[in-house]
Amino acid sequence: MRKNSFFLVYLLLTVVQMLICNYFNLSPYVMLSILPVMVLCIPLRVPTWVTMVIAFATGFVVDLLSEGILGLNVLALVPVAFVRKEVIRLIFGGELFARKEDFAVRKNGFGMVLMAIILVQALFLAIYVWADGAGTRPLSFQAIRFGASLVAGVLVSLLVIGILAPDTRK
Amino acid sequence: MPKERSILPRIISAAIFILMEIAALQLLSRNASLQQIWIARAAHGVMGTVWGSTQKIANYFNLRKINEDLAKENFELREELDTYRSEAHARRIDSLGIAHGRVQGFDYVPAEVIKISRNKQHNYMILNKGYEDGIQEKSGIITRSGVVGIVDAVSAHHAYAFSFQNSDISISGRLGEEGATGLLVWDGVRSNGAILQEVPLQYKYEVGDTVYTSGHSLVFPPDIPLGLAGDAKVINGATNEIRVDLFQDFTAIRYVTVVHNTAFDEVEDFGL
Repeated sequence: MRKNSFFLVYLLLTVVQMLICNYFNLSPYVMLSILPVMVLCIPLRVPTWVTMVIAFATGFVVDLLSEGILGLNVLALVPVAFVRKEVIRLIFGGELFARKEDFAVRKNGFGMVLMAIILVQALFLAIYVWADGAGTRPLSFQAIRFGASLVAGVLVSLLVIGILAPDTRK
Repeated sequence: MPKERSILPRIISAAIFILMEIAALQLLSRNASLQQIWIARAAHGVMGTVWGSTQKIANYFNLRKINEDLAKENFELREELDTYRSEAHARRIDSLGIAHGRVQGFDYVPAEVIKISRNKQHNYMILNKGYEDGIQEKSGIITRSGVVGIVDAVSAHHAYAFSFQNSDISISGRLGEEGATGLLVWDGVRSNGAILQEVPLQYKYEVGDTVYTSGHSLVFPPDIPLGLAGDAKVINGATNEIRVDLFQDFTAIRYVTVVHNTAFDEVEDFGL
């Protein structure tokens, strides 16, 4: 996938996230989000600060145009962009950066990609659920919400990887 | 080193990250009252911690001055305490003299017991005063509760004395105000037990009568209360031996008065 087409798909997925926020309210315990995996799939050649700007803008638009609280997705998504390259380096190793390649399921294996998705989803949800609760929800509720949202988010993210991962875009 | 691993982009990224998170928190607090309260509470907590820590650091650097002030105050309090202690000690010593009534012909010197033995047959004590303080050999040692010993040897600043709890010591005692006299010795068993020996059989007394110093010896002034008379035992059909419960508690001796007969040497010269 070319750079331009990647960002077009990225924009479309942002719209999909808005639709999810507005129409797919499955349960108070489940918060479905594909934003972390979208940020994870941003090409590695994009510098971190740019990735953070993209994440900020994405979170802001989703918050603004959906029923969420303005700033909540921004707060949770920017840290994902900040640690994205470190997560990739941790899971896939430094070779991707040396070869200036992006990760892919076929190339790097399903397990590693799944691990990366889980990590970024967990980070995003930890901040989101914590900030959304604002100290008013019991810990048990927060924990269940985190766990359920993580499972749901990882499953949906696997579909998004199928769309955004480089080797599937050829 | 690869460009991505250099330090400057990381610092820039970290700075941008912090700015964006602050902006996100601002957005959150402006658009949701619940989150606004939550963020304000968290901010107050952080502020409290930060200011508390800075205060602790400031206090740490002030410790030197505080220590100096405390040391100065400690010194002043110690001096003040010493003054009170000296006054209290002087009053205590005075009260010993007053209790027994200063007797003419005797010198009184206050002293403190710095070492005493209690668990032997020949017990001793060491006082903190010596000949430079006016202590002389063959001086008596008394307290407000009775007689406790006799000075045996003196150095410049210390005196070695036989305790009354010593089988070699005997003092002249008297039964009641005007009763018979005898030799009072430690019974060798009890810490407050004594025996008044060689009391003539013809002299009657009551159990509970007070035993005093007789004044017949050159060492102790007369009429110092020593203890209470108890049961008697006839010895060889000639004399009584009377059990005496001493007033003095030998386990709690600290301040004493050393008494010395000013005529001691003169009388000793008679060689009696």
